[in-house]
Amino acid sequence: MNLLEINDLTSGYEGVQILWGVNLSLEKGKLTTLVGSNGVGKTTLLSTVMGLLRPWQGTVNFEGKDVTNLPAHARAKAGMVLVPEGRQLFTEMTVLENLEMGAFSPRARVSFKQNLDKVFELFPRLKERAKQKAGTLSGGEQQMVAVSRGLMAEPEILFLDELSLGLSPLLALTLFESLTRLKKTGLTMLLVEQNVSMALAVSDYAYVLAEGRVHLEGPARDLLKNDEVRRTYLGI
Amino acid sequence: MQLISSLTDGLLLGFVYGVAAMGLTLIWGVMTVINLAHGPVIALGMFGTYLFFTHLGLNPYLALAPVALFGLLLGFIIYGMAVHRVINAPHLSSLLATFAVNMIIIGLGTAIFSTSPQNIDYSLGSMQIGFLTIPFSRLLATLGAVLFTAALYLFLYFTRPGKAIRAVANNRRAAELMGIPSSQVLALSFGLGTMLAAVAGGLIATFFPFTILSGGPYELKSFVICVLGGLGNPLGALLGGLILGGLEGLIPTFMPVSWVPVVEFGLFVLVLLVKPSGLLGAK
Ligand SMILES: Nc1ncnc2c1ncn2[C@@H]1O[C@H](COP(=O)(O)OP(=O)(O)OP(=O)(O)O)[C@@H](O)[C@H]1O
Ligand SMILES: [Mg+2]
Repeated sequence: MNLLEINDLTSGYEGVQILWGVNLSLEKGKLTTLVGSNGVGKTTLLSTVMGLLRPWQGTVNFEGKDVTNLPAHARAKAGMVLVPEGRQLFTEMTVLENLEMGAFSPRARVSFKQNLDKVFELFPRLKERAKQKAGTLSGGEQQMVAVSRGLMAEPEILFLDELSLGLSPLLALTLFESLTRLKKTGLTMLLVEQNVSMALAVSDYAYVLAEGRVHLEGPARDLLKNDEVRRTYLGI
Repeated sequence: MQLISSLTDGLLLGFVYGVAAMGLTLIWGVMTVINLAHGPVIALGMFGTYLFFTHLGLNPYLALAPVALFGLLLGFIIYGMAVHRVINAPHLSSLLATFAVNMIIIGLGTAIFSTSPQNIDYSLGSMQIGFLTIPFSRLLATLGAVLFTAALYLFLYFTRPGKAIRAVANNRRAAELMGIPSSQVLALSFGLGTMLAAVAGGLIATFFPFTILSGGPYELKSFVICVLGGLGNPLGALLGGLILGGLEGLIPTFMPVSWVPVVEFGLFVLVLLVKPSGLLGAK
């Protein structure tokens, strides 16, 4: 069953069209990767899907319902959660407050305690930093807060934009491991990653975005073997 | 002796200034809008207290509760009608929008209340501590100011909607992504900002006479205070209020009263030049 369906989506910024009819669907419980070169519109796609940007045309269906015209906060309430590019933490608030804000919607509020325990289990470092201002953490720790804040929202589907950007290889690996653990819990995820080989290695399915459209798609392990993908995105 | 007594007077008043400035700074901090309707709302707070007192016989301090509620609702209305549609537009648009609200309130207020001065005839006498004579009305106003400040602090740091306000102030997009309805939160913040203005007006009305135009000077003082304390910083606003109040107490013992605004605005310009983030602000 497809949890999310994106049909013929076009969007952009004040007269500059970036997406030219994107079709993409995410299967429940699967980890999907979205690959594309810099500036191709991956973040634009996620912003449009979340309702931060108004789509020009096309529809977004979530759990069989048309959410194309819902504001971002209503989509979050429904279970669509984005861990945005550049973290976008509440830097002036403590780590714990960031996590509380993650659990703002009613569906997440009821299981706040359990989710907090889960998140601290995933990233024990955050427990020590709970009372610290999020803006004072290291880059890696901030990324952990960003992911945790997203998880606190109790997502049905989690979008992760540039999870490993600017992190040490070791930290990136830790975060990828946490993704595979989350996948085991049945969470549906869409991953946008610079580190394409690592992303494809843990994914079930993948899409390649080029020139504002889906250019290629298929099971992740097939794309890992695809010549064009290897040349363009893996540099092999 | 005279010095200490003037200073005490000024500081007590400074708390009330602080409340007015906190309202202005809260709105700026959350939505980077400079609310030019702040002064008229202060004046409406004065008239609100006055009307409850003279027509309903309500104790002016108790009247602060309905005045606060009125300020909150008025803020929602102003936000919904004038501010929301220009919230993402350049600053000039919101300045003009709130200035229009300013003119409307003053126009209506002049028509209804005229511009002859009113005052609340409610005397409580004063208290003697050594050589200090402190009118009870000043003391109660200070107490009210401290209570409202503490309540604002507790609200912002220990309640869910309060934390949502801080989250929206910090990063509106991220707040939306977390399921926080940012437009409602902006309306609430604006409501709280105008509530503080109305309360400050109500407190001032218990010891100074006023007209519908009386809010203007307090709005200007609020700007000075916000700059002193760092725009967007409620605690800084309280400190700035005390500094300004203290100055107003002290200056007349050294030079003619008419010099007060000169010194105040001189300070304003000086802080803007030397430390634009405010005395408490980061570098
Ligand atoms: N706010 C904006 N206003 C105008 N143009 C924008 C804006 N944000 C992005 N763009 C442009 O839209 C295009 C797509 O940007 P987007 O951020 O979606 O790419 P991306 O695939 O996420 O890139 P990256 O891999 O660098 O994160 C780029 O050409 C970018 O310059
Ligand atoms: Mg991007």
